[in-house]
Amino acid sequence: MERTVQAIYYDGATSKPQEATVRVREMNTLEVELPDGGCFQWPLEHKGMEWERSSAMLRLSFGDHPRRVLLIRDEPFIQSFVLRMRYAGRQGVYDRALAVARSGPVLFFLGVVALLICSYLWFLPWAAERLALLVPRTLDERIGEAAFDQMALGLPIDSARTVSLQAFGDAMELSPSFEPTYHVVKDDQVNAFALPGGHIVVFTGILDRMASADELAALLAHEATHVEERHSTRMLARSMAGYLFLSLLIGDVNAVVAMVADNANALRNLGYGRGLETEADRIGQEQLLKNGVDPMAMVGLLELLEREAEDMPEALAFLSSHPLTQERIAAARTRARELGTPQAPNDRLEVLFRPLIAAQPTEAMPSSAN
Amino acid sequence: MGSPTPVRAEEAVYLSLLRQPAHMFLTTPPKRLAFLGRPGDLFVVLLVNMLLTFITLGLYYPWAKARRLSWYYEHTELDGHPFHFHGTGNEMFKGFIKAIGLLLLIYGTYIVGVLMEEVKLVVIGVLVMFVGLLLFIPLIIHGSLRYRSSRSSWRGIHFGYRGQLKELYRICLRDGLLTLITVGIYGSWLTIHLRNYTVGHLRYGSTSFRYKGDGAAFFLLNLKGYLLTVFTLGIYGFWWQRDLFNYYVNNLSWEHPDGKRIQFRSTATGGGFFSLMLVNVLIVVFTLGIGFAWAEVRTMRFVLEHIALDGDADLNAVVQTEQEHKNAMADDLGDLLDIGVFI
Repeated sequence: MERTVQAIYYDGATSKPQEATVRVREMNTLEVELPDGGCFQWPLEHKGMEWERSSAMLRLSFGDHPRRVLLIRDEPFIQSFVLRMRYAGRQGVYDRALAVARSGPVLFFLGVVALLICSYLWFLPWAAERLALLVPRTLDERIGEAAFDQMALGLPIDSARTVSLQAFGDAMELSPSFEPTYHVVKDDQVNAFALPGGHIVVFTGILDRMASADELAALLAHEATHVEERHSTRMLARSMAGYLFLSLLIGDVNAVVAMVADNANALRNLGYGRGLETEADRIGQEQLLKNGVDPMAMVGLLELLEREAEDMPEALAFLSSHPLTQERIAAARTRARELGTPQAPNDRLEVLFRPLIAAQPTEAMPSSAN
Repeated sequence: MGSPTPVRAEEAVYLSLLRQPAHMFLTTPPKRLAFLGRPGDLFVVLLVNMLLTFITLGLYYPWAKARRLSWYYEHTELDGHPFHFHGTGNEMFKGFIKAIGLLLLIYGTYIVGVLMEEVKLVVIGVLVMFVGLLLFIPLIIHGSLRYRSSRSSWRGIHFGYRGQLKELYRICLRDGLLTLITVGIYGSWLTIHLRNYTVGHLRYGSTSFRYKGDGAAFFLLNLKGYLLTVFTLGIYGFWWQRDLFNYYVNNLSWEHPDGKRIQFRSTATGGGFFSLMLVNVLIVVFTLGIGFAWAEVRTMRFVLEHIALDGDADLNAVVQTEQEHKNAMADDLGDLLDIGVFI
């Protein structure tokens, strides 16, 4: 930095630019000489001295408002100046990151993209779920209650079988932190679903196809696991975090990217749903064993779902979990073998199951289970 | 420079001028506006901003915004000299916190009402929100103009805004009401009255600006633009855009205390807008948004290169007059509510 450069000087009093000659004195002071003979010195370490480097120039400013300013466009000078300030610890994180990025923009871009993808796929879902689990369980109950109140109006409840199903469910301990409330709905869909907080709805379509009490126990265990493990809340948190992440990234960029991003988020959530189904199978099987039911019943239930799915039209089958069901069946079978059979079978379930199948099976539209 | 990006022809001319010794670059075309930022560099700046914002879970946003604005100012030149943005992330962060506090206050009644399931409170809350947000608009315009102008300088002289908040409220309430009554027709007058007032109170040191728009002319311009755009299935939209740009630029002047003035003049054409926008859309769509910086730089160049300054006022004779105004709350509030200030 032992050299002389030309600079533009603004004195802060008028808009008249002056050509100044800048010299570095003893590595820590800038000596500025003006054409009218004026001369002054700026100590580099002084707090009132600020510097900013943009892509084509160096801007130095000094003093209180209105600040006096020097603009330097001499690239070798700028580089040695920046280096000197870095050694003096006066280069911030941002400027360092920017310097790195400018030296290899393509590599930097690829690095950022890789980081973002990794955090979107792995870190974000993990963090979102951690946060979701901090939400009190009473909130699950309130959400579920509100959703059920709204739905119940349009659902044709089979009250007699609802009472029987409740008795059947109460004979097992499936969800330690919630009290499941069971409902039977007259509908030919081979389906059942659970709302957060404990409402579990079973359609007559699936009930009528049940071959044994164990299969029903498996269904309830699966659905109760969705409730117990708070799958809805976790899924909601993940999806919300996904949108937050994308909007954070895109900020004010543009609608096209936002559209692409929206669809990416939807795709990811599809995969996420499968993961949770498998978890519901696994924990459901463990619950079955605890309640005196052979975990192999889950295999029977999944096979029932698979049979129904086979009759589905081509277009729907593409979206359904058909090849996935095979995977789930295989996994459930392996798990059942590992878990073994219960020591004291729950005999009451068979008795409680009888009133539930009293009604004749009706011709039903096949569909997949949740 | 460090960046190996290839340089386009006109860039090469500018950059070679800039690389001359200091006394040379004062001889770039007099009284011309120019944008010298390179898209690759903007891309890197935006990328670093994105990375830091992401790592800090969004907290870095105010600093990123300051850096981005700074980049645009630094690469915009008038008469061979760059503008400078003095706003800092710290100022904007403070403003951001204040703005969030203010919004919470406005949303508070509504949120409490919903949580307590009190219908009355919810209704009151909605009213407070509605009225509150409407009343914010003049405040946002006023505060944002004061902040942005005070934090902008050229050749070391700061800009400033000396409008009165009271007057802005008067215009907004009167014209807003008339706009409601006339089902939006009076909106053209509202826009022009706001522009006349706000631009008329902008300062650059000892000089000031003037905008002499006319509500009726602006309304007819929009009516013509709208009808022709509909009839030509959207094609006239680019010429409508040109008319709006021309109306903005051609009515703007820069008044110097010695009585001399600089008149701004647009040289933009409808064809120019057409190719600008068409190519920008293609760039952004085909690069899935990655080419955003390139589209952005094309726009900046187009706009600045199509504003000519006519007049013989002495740009060296301006004296520093404006005080500093560091409160960024209104600016951040406008950001949060997505209200653009620069009418």
